[in-house]
Amino acid sequence: MSAVAADVPKAVAQRRSHPTAHGEARFGFAMIALSVLFVAVFTAIPIIASLGLSFFSWDVISTPQYVGLKNYQQLFNDGPVLKSFGVTLGMALAIVVLQLTVGLALAVLVNQRKLVWVRTLFRTAFYLPLLASTAAVSIFMGYLFDYKFGVVNYYLGLLGIPNVPWLTSGFGAAATIVLIAVWQQLGFTFVLFVASLMSVPTDVLEAAQIDGAGPLRTLFRVKIPLISPTILFAAVVALINAMQLFDQPYIMTKGGPGSATTTVTITMYQKGFQNLQFGYGSAIAIVLLAAILIITGLQFLAARKLVFYQ
Amino acid sequence: MTGIHSPGGSIARRTVLKAGAAGGLGLAGLADLAACGNSSGGSSSKSLKMLYFGEQAAATQLQNRLQPQISKLDANIKFEITAINGTDWNDFLAKVLTQVAAGTPPDIISVATEGLQLMASKELAVPLDDYVTKDLAALKEYFADIHPALIESMMYQGHLWELPDSFNAGNMFYSTELFQRAGVVPPSEGWTLDDFESAATKIAKFKGINAFGWVVRLWGSWTSFMYANNANLLEEGKYDGGDWLWNKAYAGDAAAAGRKGGWKWGAPTANSEGTVEALNYMIELTKKGLSPSPDVGGGGTLQGLFASNRIGMSIGGGFWAGGLTNAGMKNGSFDVTMFPKWKSQRHLFGAGGYAIFKSSKKKDLAWEVLKLLVKPETFDLVFPGNVTTPGRKSLVTAERYAKTGPKHWSVFYETLTKHPDTAPIPAPPYYNALATALNQRTTQAISSGNAKAALDGLQADLEKAAGAS
Repeated sequence: MSAVAADVPKAVAQRRSHPTAHGEARFGFAMIALSVLFVAVFTAIPIIASLGLSFFSWDVISTPQYVGLKNYQQLFNDGPVLKSFGVTLGMALAIVVLQLTVGLALAVLVNQRKLVWVRTLFRTAFYLPLLASTAAVSIFMGYLFDYKFGVVNYYLGLLGIPNVPWLTSGFGAAATIVLIAVWQQLGFTFVLFVASLMSVPTDVLEAAQIDGAGPLRTLFRVKIPLISPTILFAAVVALINAMQLFDQPYIMTKGGPGSATTTVTITMYQKGFQNLQFGYGSAIAIVLLAAILIITGLQFLAARKLVFYQ
Repeated sequence: MTGIHSPGGSIARRTVLKAGAAGGLGLAGLADLAACGNSSGGSSSKSLKMLYFGEQAAATQLQNRLQPQISKLDANIKFEITAINGTDWNDFLAKVLTQVAAGTPPDIISVATEGLQLMASKELAVPLDDYVTKDLAALKEYFADIHPALIESMMYQGHLWELPDSFNAGNMFYSTELFQRAGVVPPSEGWTLDDFESAATKIAKFKGINAFGWVVRLWGSWTSFMYANNANLLEEGKYDGGDWLWNKAYAGDAAAAGRKGGWKWGAPTANSEGTVEALNYMIELTKKGLSPSPDVGGGGTLQGLFASNRIGMSIGGGFWAGGLTNAGMKNGSFDVTMFPKWKSQRHLFGAGGYAIFKSSKKKDLAWEVLKLLVKPETFDLVFPGNVTTPGRKSLVTAERYAKTGPKHWSVFYETLTKHPDTAPIPAPPYYNALATALNQRTTQAISSGNAKAALDGLQADLEKAAGAS
């Protein structure tokens, strides 16, 4: 071993024991402590606590009763609750597919604009709905799509089209809510895709052009593969959000008509806060969490074949 | 404190919470609050807290109006009213229970029929029997002025849980302007369902006008048609007891004959022939273009549509007098009559009143405040502008409705006196689950056009909810 090599561990040891190094470490821990505390208090502990609560029967007022797995057994035999999982999955898939495809299409179109101010204008316009309160948007949209006096039906009426039951038929309500959710969340995927498309190396695009690739071929064979990690990220985030859909259906349809737009989170709220079955509501929350984890895991598995990392 | 017990065993609420069984994905937040809350409950020693369904601005105004009178009862007490907002009573009750779980229950709660049995069955409030008995002489004029049907609606298992001060029966409001334009003679009190449909058909001819509007909820929805069809969602019965009050406060009052210890809501009858027929009637109204698909909720939108003369008729109570006036309707542009007769002319109603929370440390003071709240002179401080029907008959006067209308204001109280079979809405201890299921199944029926299938579903929902409660 050379003298230099022998000195390295010594130097490291000296640096570790240096008072400044200790101070830096303390500062580092202090910096992350707040985040760790925040995550612990508002995410980790509540999830663990919710898991604990799911083994109890509790109506807030009376003494909780330990019931073991009874809430989970009840859940897997509860038709309306299982249906709400199906409704949620269906709506979530529709939201994710639309959010990704429309977001990507718009990003590609905007990215082709040469003028910077045009790009900025579109970016702002598509991002703005994301900044609005979902509750306020849902109330507003509820009025717009109202069967009796909604503005949408009013203008359709001027064209001779009879009133459409946007929110009062099962399919109509689900489709309207999906479209509204997509409209509001589109800005997120759109901005991600615009940024990602702008980072595609120009030399790669020029090479494709020299090789005779047209715009569509360049998009599908060059751009999309290169931004596929961003697409994966957007898909994962969009699906997690969509699986927790609550505000729009709760405010606009109360989960109806019937149970056509009753999502899992609405069911969870009804069981917990309205029917005072907090243990059962927690069990639903835990199963939803598990479902989201499984679906996200599947997305990552699929990504191994579909995502291209440079 | 005990540890975790074997299945079926119990464990102290706060032990569970302290152990971390608190919250998560929304639900956890509630339990977390409970863990941190003050287990003794009630307000601080310097304040008396009341919960109220409405806007905080109105609650603060009311609090300031009542403070001088509360100060006369106790100069050191600050009266605090916290408003809880929501679409309907099930929203309100869910939020009240959240406050209870958070360890900050109120001393007094203003709650309607919807929440009475839920509150009483969970022993959140205290029976007022002893207080009433003690102060019966002072309350004699109160009981003489309040219809016994309202008192009975505030009883549960033989005990009185609230002092009622207001109510609303499901009468029929109509636009006098639209009736005139359609050439329809204003309906008489004894009109029938055929008269109603005939009027609706004439009004529906106007473009952009809906002849009859309604909302999906328990009070004054298709449930009014169900009552008039002599049907109900639950088996009707009454608890024994209550003689302690009837024999003393209502001795000799014919309207109190047969009154017992409160309404006992039994097995679900949601898919009975009469109930299905009533909901089918609503579907037929929709199919005939006489009524649009209804919204779910409290009825604010419906009131707005009525006020802008886009709806010919709708179910409303005394609260619509103030509501329509506040929405810009002129006195005389609307009127009210009894709900049309079908198999009977039985109406439904809901009452409002005040209860004392069990956890309150100032129950005696709270009782004094309750008596103050039901005094005649307090009514307009609490409900300015005819936003509900006074429970005291002496307050339902021509003078009260002179500014707002309607012309036939006497219908409000006469619903109780002329139709003694009029009954409260079916609000059992599991009201919240009932309201959720009713809303879902009603919208299902209207969108699918199949009342029987929807009400079979409601029957199953209610059987499950009743079993779980």
